[in-house]
Amino acid sequence: MSKPIKLSILVEQIHDTIHNRFDGETFWITAEITDLKATHLIKQYRFLQLVEKDGNNIVASINAVFWQSYLKEIDKFEKLTQRNFDNGLEITCKVRVNFTMRYGLKLEVLEIDPSHTLGALELERQRTLERLIKENPKTIRLVDGQYRTLNNSLPLPLVIQNIALITAPDSDGQRDFKNETTKNKYGYSFYIKEFLTTIQGDTAHKLILQQLQLIEKSQEKFDVVVIVRGGGSQTDFKPFEEYDLAKCIATFPIPVLTGIGHDRNTSIVDLMARQHKTPTKVATFILDQNFSFEKNILDLKGRLTDMANDLIESAKTDLREMKRLVKSLSPSSVLNRGFAIITINGKIITNPKDIKLNSQLQTLLKNETIYSTVNKKSQNEKRLDI
Amino acid sequence: MKNDLTYSKAFSELEKLVVQIEDDNIPLDTLADKVKKANELIKFCEIKLRTIEANVNESLSDKTTTGRKKNRN
Repeated sequence: MSKPIKLSILVEQIHDTIHNRFDGETFWITAEITDLKATHLIKQYRFLQLVEKDGNNIVASINAVFWQSYLKEIDKFEKLTQRNFDNGLEITCKVRVNFTMRYGLKLEVLEIDPSHTLGALELERQRTLERLIKENPKTIRLVDGQYRTLNNSLPLPLVIQNIALITAPDSDGQRDFKNETTKNKYGYSFYIKEFLTTIQGDTAHKLILQQLQLIEKSQEKFDVVVIVRGGGSQTDFKPFEEYDLAKCIATFPIPVLTGIGHDRNTSIVDLMARQHKTPTKVATFILDQNFSFEKNILDLKGRLTDMANDLIESAKTDLREMKRLVKSLSPSSVLNRGFAIITINGKIITNPKDIKLNSQLQTLLKNETIYSTVNKKSQNEKRLDI
Repeated sequence: MKNDLTYSKAFSELEKLVVQIEDDNIPLDTLADKVKKANELIKFCEIKLRTIEANVNESLSDKTTTGRKKNRN
């Protein structure tokens, strides 16, 4: 055995070797993130491991770090991909090999290329969508580029009043939605029951699922389920891309309205339900729905009033006409006009042949009756035209 | 006047009576009866019409419509 040397001498040789080989060089690599440490309190750096897997086996692994001036790469990545920078994500990044005597070997991450991750996410999203259709052919279909699900084909109630609200406690989404609905200009009231849950992070989709199950089992009858999440910098769409949650919503028996993103985002859950982008827009939609119902009612009432008035007016006119006719035809009107009624022994005579010479006639006039005896009869020379 | 007489029935009976009264060949002794009957029907129709109008107006007035939707709570 040769004489032992100091560790520092060996480590220095390693350092020099690595330095000679890698100094000044950068590399683009693709690797999966594991063991990501929480953000350092004063946000100076962030440690993680980068690994390459073959199936479930790790075939290569190395420590890596984002120094303070490169942390903005993570923010940029999250904004672009709508995903939390988190374990399990595969990223393509530019790295530099760094070795220090004190802390050993690390890769310093200098830049992330989000296009690789975006591509991988899109691929995953397509796979999830295809699986949803393939495994639920009766309830999820793609028609003219639109996802028609059992849920988004359910008719909406004409009036939406009882709302099951899935949201995070004390969140912007919760506040926005409740403000818009409770302080509306029409004066409509709503019954909103909140089902509070985390709406971000790895377990969020399971927690949302549990809330949906609670709503389904509830004794209360809800008109709609509303899922909202506040705006701002919240970007993690992952829970809303999960197969289980998407399937549950696609087949949920109460219409689901979502306001979980911003104008340009559509998650898989949005596609399975009715998407209204933001909490405020969901609230506006509900108010519009109720107003259009009320407007229909008011229109109908107006038409009913007009119709009823017309009917009554025309009935009045008809009746007046009848009254006039009956009056003009009544015997008293006839007598008033100077005509007379002739009777013999109380029987009205309409045929002159019934009147013989010496008959006793009673002639009824307006106010008096004339008694007379017939002493002559003759035919009128021409037909009287009176 | 029968209780179950409707406006429509009364009016169509009235129309028939007027046609009969207009007929030149009506025996005069039935004329008075028919005119009397017609006048009764006219009176009935007028009352009925006024009641219908009042009912309709009441139903259409604001106090009986639902107004704003109530909170379930």
